[in-house]
Amino acid sequence: MVRPVNKKERQLPFLLLGPALLLMALIVAYPLLQALRLSLFQVSLLKPDAAQFVGMDNYRSLLKDPLFLRSVLNSVMWILGSVSLQFTVGMLGALILNKDFPGRGLVRGLSLIPWATSGVLVALMWTWMLDGNYGVLNDILVKLNIIGQYQPWLAMPTSLGGVIAANVWQGAPFFAVMLLAAIQGVPLELYEAAYIDGANKFNQFWRITVPLIMPTIMITTMLRIIWTANYMDLVLVMTGGGPGQASITLPVLAYITAYERLRVGQGTAMAVLQALMLMVALSLYLKLLQGKEEGGFII
Amino acid sequence: MKRKAVVLVLALLLINTAFAYGATTVKYLLWLDDPTDRTVHDLVDKFNALHPDINVVMETVPLSNYYDQLLMAISAGAGPDAARFKDWWLGAFHDADLLEDLSPYLEDWPGRDDVIDELWSTGMIPGVDGVYMMPHQFITFYMYYRADWFKEAGLQPPKTFADFLAAAKALTNPAENRYGFGLRGGSGGQDQWLAFMVAGGARIVDEQGNIVINSPKAVEVNQWYIDLFKQHKVAPPSAPTDAYPQVTGAFQAGNTAMMAHHVGSSVMMTQALGREKVGVLPIPSADPAKPATMGTMSGNVVFSTSDVKGAAFKFISWLSETEAMDKWSKSRQGQLPVLKSVAGQEFYVDNEFFKVSIEGGNYAVVWPPLPGVGYVSAYVWQNTMQRALLGEITSKQMLDEIAAALKEAN
Repeated sequence: MVRPVNKKERQLPFLLLGPALLLMALIVAYPLLQALRLSLFQVSLLKPDAAQFVGMDNYRSLLKDPLFLRSVLNSVMWILGSVSLQFTVGMLGALILNKDFPGRGLVRGLSLIPWATSGVLVALMWTWMLDGNYGVLNDILVKLNIIGQYQPWLAMPTSLGGVIAANVWQGAPFFAVMLLAAIQGVPLELYEAAYIDGANKFNQFWRITVPLIMPTIMITTMLRIIWTANYMDLVLVMTGGGPGQASITLPVLAYITAYERLRVGQGTAMAVLQALMLMVALSLYLKLLQGKEEGGFII
Repeated sequence: MKRKAVVLVLALLLINTAFAYGATTVKYLLWLDDPTDRTVHDLVDKFNALHPDINVVMETVPLSNYYDQLLMAISAGAGPDAARFKDWWLGAFHDADLLEDLSPYLEDWPGRDDVIDELWSTGMIPGVDGVYMMPHQFITFYMYYRADWFKEAGLQPPKTFADFLAAAKALTNPAENRYGFGLRGGSGGQDQWLAFMVAGGARIVDEQGNIVINSPKAVEVNQWYIDLFKQHKVAPPSAPTDAYPQVTGAFQAGNTAMMAHHVGSSVMMTQALGREKVGVLPIPSADPAKPATMGTMSGNVVFSTSDVKGAAFKFISWLSETEAMDKWSKSRQGQLPVLKSVAGQEFYVDNEFFKVSIEGGNYAVVWPPLPGVGYVSAYVWQNTMQRALLGEITSKQMLDEIAAALKEAN
């Protein structure tokens, strides 16, 4: 027989969760609400007391601003390019690291170095590697006769590609390690059974490995999309958004608007819009992948 | 004996603590070009020892974050009492009533007449009475050139725009990855650009304070500057995004024959290439009868929000007195002294780099203290210059955007 729960016992969970909830309210909810409020004001950091309520004006002016639209487009390319290439390189890395070869432990450890390197350091390293006057990439490509003369990779309208390359180098180990852990969790009997049934290596990978590590793929990709969307260190240090507007992404533009142009309200409105766009994109992404999983992705 | 020494040390500590307790604390914010240099720490210690009633507490912030951090601190009501400051931030801060007028304090300051007269204007705002920044360390842009290459090619150091372009063309050889001029289109390139703009006869504001940076004359000089890269190709292909490390690196590595900078890099250049290979000359001008260059002052300000303005002024004015100024200017982050008594010393007069810089002070043009200058310097100039270099916008469109941003109030 179930004993009726008394009032004190009903309050207990709230009491236990209270400190955590209070902390969340302070460090998550308050800044979030404050950002929403700020985006409705015209405010300069130099004159915080002279803030003016402007309603939705900050949002309206953004939607008409070609630079904002350009930065959204660049952000989409930055996220899609970075995450898809990081995933591909990471998956290849995970499959290689899953094989048995001498010194595997050492290679697994070393492969994490890019992930552990600070963003600004990665940016500086890649800036020099891609340098138009004496960068090592130019040197190699000229010696291999792939290009005729040195190219200013970061001073061309395609500079975002150079920054994406640096991001792929830095971010791929995260995918490699997470996917490797997931792959190692797949029971070997499944591969044996598939082998007996006549499945080749590709079919084993596509029909067994991928479906079973799908939850890991989903969560890591989602995390990387969020991190990459907010990640501005590489762009800021390597190109500053240039040349011109060629590589400006949303967080970089929001930073410049708030701290260089001193329009904090407008900068915050950009951040709010980015959060909204990210929420919509991620909901669609999750729905798509969950649908696939339920629709027979797992054999 | 030992006991006596211990008692003496304790007594001194007690006195020191008592003084520090009763002393007025002045919070001083600054950036250091070379953070490993101890000169400023020593100066602050010396000031505190000489003034037991004042205790200066300094906080250093890297220049790249300086403006942001200063803004954040002021916005949060936790700003410093005094700070190292650039002349082109004056407009925005004065506009927000954050700067203290130093004129009343200067009346009693004995060093007043020792400051080079023309340099007071760098701490003033056109159309506004008062002095808002103590002049402290000054720089003017000049040009480095590879003396050995010029000699080999039988070229004379250029004095005019025409000579400069001819020499740059003669020394450009893309097959050897060698270019005539290290044009800085990336971060911080606006100072070098302004040096050439004013040397070409353009101005940002006229004598009445009207913005004339998009005048036909300015459009013409700007086009000449853009064409160094776009048409004549005497600058490296990476020029649109080259910043300080790339421009100085290319000059030191033998990729460029000329580059513009200031005395702050002279030791590094001569150490990297050898004194005999590094020549220095004033920025060439369109008309040799009208030389001009860009100058910028880093001075010190007192904030109107401070409760200890008098003590804060005492400290920043002490930094601009002979002994402290000489020490700072001779340190690893030294720039040009603003005092006649220091600038006239042999050390500065005999050094070619200091000499050309100090001469430049006679005709240097500074960024006007307009509220939009910070935004133009940090973003608009770089953005529009890069688009102009890549042929996406014209010289006129670039300068129209800059003029609009300069007028933008915060």
